[in-house]
Amino acid sequence: MLKGVHQKLEPQQSPAFFVRGASPFSRMMLYSALSIVMMAADARWNYLSTVRQAFIGALHPLEMLANAPSNWVRDTKKYFTAHNQLVQENYLLKQQAFEHQVMLQRLSTIQAENIHLRSLLNGNLPIQPKAILGEISHTGRDPFSNVVVVNRGSSHGIKPGQAVVDSKGVIGQVTRVFPYSSEVTLVIDKQLSIPIQIERNQLRAIAFGEGNNTLDIPYLPANVDIRVGDKLVTSGIDGIYPAGLAVATVTKIQQNPESPFAKIISTPVAEVTNHLQLLLLELPEVKESEIKPHEPEAKETAAKAVEKAPAKQKDKKTHASR
Amino acid sequence: MRPVSRWIIYLTLVVALLCHLFPWGGRGIILRPVFMFVVLLYWLLRSPHLCNIGTAWFAGLLVDLATGSLLGQHALSFTLAAFVGVSYQRRLVLFNAWHLMGYVFLIFLLERVLLLLLKLFAGNENPGWHFFLPILTGILLWQSMIFVFGTITRPKSR
Repeated sequence: MLKGVHQKLEPQQSPAFFVRGASPFSRMMLYSALSIVMMAADARWNYLSTVRQAFIGALHPLEMLANAPSNWVRDTKKYFTAHNQLVQENYLLKQQAFEHQVMLQRLSTIQAENIHLRSLLNGNLPIQPKAILGEISHTGRDPFSNVVVVNRGSSHGIKPGQAVVDSKGVIGQVTRVFPYSSEVTLVIDKQLSIPIQIERNQLRAIAFGEGNNTLDIPYLPANVDIRVGDKLVTSGIDGIYPAGLAVATVTKIQQNPESPFAKIISTPVAEVTNHLQLLLLELPEVKESEIKPHEPEAKETAAKAVEKAPAKQKDKKTHASR
Repeated sequence: MRPVSRWIIYLTLVVALLCHLFPWGGRGIILRPVFMFVVLLYWLLRSPHLCNIGTAWFAGLLVDLATGSLLGQHALSFTLAAFVGVSYQRRLVLFNAWHLMGYVFLIFLLERVLLLLLKLFAGNENPGWHFFLPILTGILLWQSMIFVFGTITRPKSR
């Protein structure tokens, strides 16, 4: 039967010298126009996100097939791990767990004290976010985008906008959710900004991703009190990232005499390339409409936040209680 | 050059899509060839009555969906590069292997340049010269395609 189909499709045995159909130019124009329309529909109006989700969902079996060889290699490697390596690791982990337990004992008393003090001051209680453990399935198919794909999706209750952290610090934010996986944009991406605080002096600012594994803190005056090596932690005023998570360390400060602002470069602390496990923090109870990860208004709010920065001691409380 | 079955073409394209879906990691990812385009260009130059600009567009769309980039980005760059590729397709019979390789190199380069322009217009950051490394690995893949499926140019004996 197949043979009959071929004969119908290939009238000549010669390689298509005469069978050409519509001219390549007209085809090119048609398909280019189609792709330009699609790009506009995708970028401007986000019409195609449901199409994408359905496709990724349908592609899941194929993805599993593609993942199978590397999973297999990983599992066999795990099986043949040497005995003494495991013993050593076990010893180290026990030591770590002991240290952490001692620290946790202090933490619980301090937390109780903090809650008590806050209730004395009539302040709001801090939010305790729940978290879902996920694993990085691959670091994005496009090597030039700052994205990792995690093996938890909408079927596990993941929502776009969730903050993602690892044991060292903040990794980024969930930007797209598919049925069995979700896409996490790293903090270094150009489209992402994160409200931060300098650990040393509690100065609040907003850090913007720059690509090339760096973050930039714009709109800070040239004489700002920031030094190389300062740790940046989340300030928690956005309601997405809980306060106090490590984000980055300042690596370079450039003062340009022509500009009133300092150029402050920092590198993120999270080790996306080294670990597989990460935590997806649940969003706090806020109205859905208030959370939009890719908002161009972020820059405006950043500018405003910096304007307010000198008066930070006064309005700090109001921000924290929001 | 024997005529090929339509199903062989679709099968190889699906395998190319699988290669895109493979969980690539580490440093080697910048060397990864654009599997889909290499396979597509081979069939495009060999039998354009079965695999033409429409196929290129659809394959580009699949790559867009698989990589999660802006929908239509790869589709447009594949379409335009395939158009240039197919316009000179009838002259390829006169080429020898080296000419063909140069020709394919230029089309790969065109695909990369178009994609880079589209990415920059869409607001991505400049990826640097690493962006063009897949051309070299693409040429290697191209040669292995020729090795497996046969050459496109005139046979040596004549």
